[in-house]
Amino acid sequence: MNEPLLHIDKLNVAFSTSRGQVHPVRDVSMSVYPGQTLAVVGESGCGKSVTAMSVLRLIPQPPGKYLSGRIYFQGRDLLKLPEADMRKVRGKEIAMIFQEPMTSLNPVYTIGDQIAEAVILHQNLRGKAAYDVAEEALREVGIADPGRRLREYPHQLSGGMRQRVMIAMALSCKPKLLIADEPTTALDVTIQAQILELLRKLQRETGMAIMLITHDLGVVAENADTVAVMYAGRVVEHSTVHDLFDKPQHPYTEGLFRSVPKLGANVTRLETIAGTVPNPKNFPKGCKFHPRCPRMAGDPLCVDDDPALREVQLRYWAACHHIEGFAQAPITEPQLAYKRPETISEIPAEVLQ
Amino acid sequence: MLTYLIRRILLLIPTLLGITILVFGVMAAAPGGIGGPLLNERGGQIGGANQQRIREYYEKRYGLNKPYAIQYLRWLNNISPVGFRVNEDGSLGRIAVKWPDLGESITQRRPVSDLLKDALPVTLILNLVSIPLVYVIGIVSGIIAARNRGNAADVGIGTSQLALWSIPTIWSGVLLIGFLANREYVNWFPTGGLTSVGSLDASFLPSHVDGRWQAGFLVDRVWHLILPVVCLSYGGFAFLSKLMRGSILDNLGADYVRTARAKGLNENVILYRHVFRNSLLSLITVAAAILPSLLGGSIVVETIFGLPGMGKLSVDAVSLRDRELVLGLTFVGGLIGLTSMVLRDVLYAMADPRVTYD
Amino acid sequence: MTKLSASEPIGNPGKPGPGETDSTRDPLTVVRRSLVRQVARDVLVRWGAQIGIVWVGLLVVLAVLAPVLANSHPLLMKSKDGELSSPWVKHLSTADCTLLVTAVAFVIIVLTRWRASTKVWLLLAVIVVTAITSSIFVKQRFTSPDTYRDRLKSGEIEWAARAPIPYSPDDRQLDDPTARLRSPAGRHWMGTTATGADLASNMIHACRIALSIGFISTGIAVVIGVVIGGMMGYFAGVVDLLGMRLVEIFSAIPTLLLLLCFVAVFTPNLYMMMAIIGLTSWEGYAVFTRAEFLSLRQRDFVQSAIASGVPLRSVLFRHMLPNGITPVLISASFGVASAILAESTLSFLGIGLGVDEASWGKLLADARSSGGTFYWWLAVFPGVAIFLTVFAYNLIGEALRDALDPKVLKN
Repeated sequence: MNEPLLHIDKLNVAFSTSRGQVHPVRDVSMSVYPGQTLAVVGESGCGKSVTAMSVLRLIPQPPGKYLSGRIYFQGRDLLKLPEADMRKVRGKEIAMIFQEPMTSLNPVYTIGDQIAEAVILHQNLRGKAAYDVAEEALREVGIADPGRRLREYPHQLSGGMRQRVMIAMALSCKPKLLIADEPTTALDVTIQAQILELLRKLQRETGMAIMLITHDLGVVAENADTVAVMYAGRVVEHSTVHDLFDKPQHPYTEGLFRSVPKLGANVTRLETIAGTVPNPKNFPKGCKFHPRCPRMAGDPLCVDDDPALREVQLRYWAACHHIEGFAQAPITEPQLAYKRPETISEIPAEVLQ
Repeated sequence: MLTYLIRRILLLIPTLLGITILVFGVMAAAPGGIGGPLLNERGGQIGGANQQRIREYYEKRYGLNKPYAIQYLRWLNNISPVGFRVNEDGSLGRIAVKWPDLGESITQRRPVSDLLKDALPVTLILNLVSIPLVYVIGIVSGIIAARNRGNAADVGIGTSQLALWSIPTIWSGVLLIGFLANREYVNWFPTGGLTSVGSLDASFLPSHVDGRWQAGFLVDRVWHLILPVVCLSYGGFAFLSKLMRGSILDNLGADYVRTARAKGLNENVILYRHVFRNSLLSLITVAAAILPSLLGGSIVVETIFGLPGMGKLSVDAVSLRDRELVLGLTFVGGLIGLTSMVLRDVLYAMADPRVTYD
Repeated sequence: MTKLSASEPIGNPGKPGPGETDSTRDPLTVVRRSLVRQVARDVLVRWGAQIGIVWVGLLVVLAVLAPVLANSHPLLMKSKDGELSSPWVKHLSTADCTLLVTAVAFVIIVLTRWRASTKVWLLLAVIVVTAITSSIFVKQRFTSPDTYRDRLKSGEIEWAARAPIPYSPDDRQLDDPTARLRSPAGRHWMGTTATGADLASNMIHACRIALSIGFISTGIAVVIGVVIGGMMGYFAGVVDLLGMRLVEIFSAIPTLLLLLCFVAVFTPNLYMMMAIIGLTSWEGYAVFTRAEFLSLRQRDFVQSAIASGVPLRSVLFRHMLPNGITPVLISASFGVASAILAESTLSFLGIGLGVDEASWGKLLADARSSGGTFYWWLAVFPGVAIFLTVFAYNLIGEALRDALDPKVLKN
């Protein structure tokens, strides 16, 4: 676990709209290591989905544009690959599942057709062999009677089952990295838990890495090894999940944790972060969070200077002028190889207290 | 599927009855009522006591003095292929399978069904040739426009689609004949009609006779049909092209296309395998309206180009106030329209797996 | 589960307008007014709508000013004895008077600053009053147009100030035997028709027929369609089943054929023609309204209106209809185009309006004689007029569709 599987390096993505250029992803850097789960957390509009889609170069080139930056996967810069090679990566080396299982499957083809299509494309199999692989994939995601399901159409399945099908389709070619863009947001709570557990199990069995996009801190707590918090197109915090939940450094993350209702706490009013998320069409100058920041206290530095992501503690990156020792902290690559311990015995004693 | 079909056909019956009621109602509401022309034509020429007796004869024969409901039922019986045979004196005979009797055309003094039998094939050829043309050109140009979205090709096709669709058939027909079939201008096409003199005697395929090439029957027919078919179909394929483009573009933005791209499929496969089938669905939905609109268009095209089909027959019938003929044609037109609706529903049920069959 | 959306709630209904306090303002009016204004702005911005509206505006102007622009009766003339008269005024018809007065009133009313609803009622009042008074007081006179030409030649009339196109549409120039079917030359800018009348004059007067049939037939069709469709969508069940059968009946029979059927049986005048075209084209609107109402029925605001005892009429027309009118509006623009086409086609086929009414379709029909001669001016000018009018309404319809696209509206 020394070389990252995926390394996004200062990615900048822009869109040309009728009202000018919009810059939803700015200097974003993050890494995922083999077998690791990186959670990318943020509100709607923070650029996490655009980042995820950029890995597979799924952003349509007009109106989108990759301004600068690199996306290294197994040593190759994906942004520079010719399209034909990129297609070989998609579905085979890196797979992606999306938020809406209802509409993410083609309604006029059977489940079997759609899974087998991926298999035929990437694994050089034909006919029955491909469908056998598809059936096996369905079985692995826990769908009962997979043989019959192969012949069914998407509208005949429930939401949870459709998402399982999506996972089966994504994993049918044994990718090294799975990008999951809010896979459970559109599902019920109980199904959510099942799907996430399924992902964890598959990760254990196959050793694949997962890049999990979510806006739900609970999902992060249960599934992530490392976390990257995004706000207004930038990564504002990156650390292990334990460190983040223990003591968040960035005021935005702090605000998020404060606003989570706690069981047993006796409050009459929930806390909020004042203000609203800025529109990508006009981000504020300087630190993007400063209009809402409780730490700012009129500091002109925050208004003028957009803080870079610095390593403020060992293996902990954050971007805020008002963190202790921020100005002297080095700017290093946010590469964090960390896997949460599986069993209690692996957790260091001091954490358990 | 069978249950769906049966249910659909069952639902057709009230519509069919409705069409008959509509047609009958127009007949009854017309000046002169049912059989008015008959009475006026046949009975009106001879005066005096004979007129009275002839009137009575016709009234008895056709049940013209009974209440409207009974007359409607009699008329229904007449036009139905399965019904009671009507004897000479007007009484009812046995149930039998019989040829539908749509009345008799006053101006041409022949049964309406005979006239229809002669005219229908011409209209059918015209329409059946136009339909595939409309669909093929419409689909292809729609795909081209969608693939080149934003380019010169797309904008060009888009503007011309709307303009083409707006050109009235009456104008295009007149212009085409006026400029392309005219001795004074370009004389490429015949001025009308279905056949040239002598083509009926010629061989079916082009042949060499007496040292000269003779265009056979087939080529002659085709030559006569080119302008009418063009005139009939340009509106249709402009409309379909627009629809196809819109449908493809809508589908290209759908989530399942995003999934297909993430799977690593190339754009062509996505377009032709995934998007195309979904786009066709919206095309099938409008298919029900294509045939009635083409039939309507035939009316104009056949009149302008002098083709002896149902359309020309209707116009002649209307200008001569030949009521039986007009109503018979309306009824048959309605039947054809209904058939196309059923076909469309069946096709859609076959194409879209989301449609449940029961 | 814990979610990340710790922002302020949105809740700012906007500042009150002039003279309004928060308590008197009906939120529905505010929303509707600003939505309408927004939509109007979106539509008018598109070049398609602009071209279409300009052309239709031109047609309206021509239709209103037709008697001024193309008339055999001189506007002002002085006879040999020094007597000044205005034959033009004496020969105005009811329609002419009503249109001219309404147009003047319209211009005046638009310039005032009254509320929109006041303006509309006032305009309607003017139309009705003028129509009634002119039908009572205007006497239809008839003077043969040749007399002016003869009297001018003979010197009986000293001078006459004539309309730019000094021919009425029904002036067959009986004093000139070679007048028929002349190509464009001299005073006949567009040539003459088969009856010897001036083509340009006929074209201008035909604008009236086109516009009136277009609007009124479509209006009738929309009313019928919305009512039937609304009931189908709201009550569903048996009403829906029966209604769909009715729609199927009218969709199965080709519209032109149905029109022919009606026309054959009842020889129509202008008003009957409008009614007939309206009666044969309502199905589309019914289907759209039905679909909208079926989905609106489930919406909360409708359910709460019903639950609070709002009368049915109000639920249907005040609550549901404004929300479901969009596809009907778009369809109506295309509907006007097809109504104009229908009338032109019927006139072309020789079974439309009577001999006296000028119609583009009728003019087009004479372009090709049975002998094979092609009178190109009779094909080009009326044809272009029909084409441009149909195209204009289609452009407007397209612009409406683009502006009212629900996906765009959601943004």
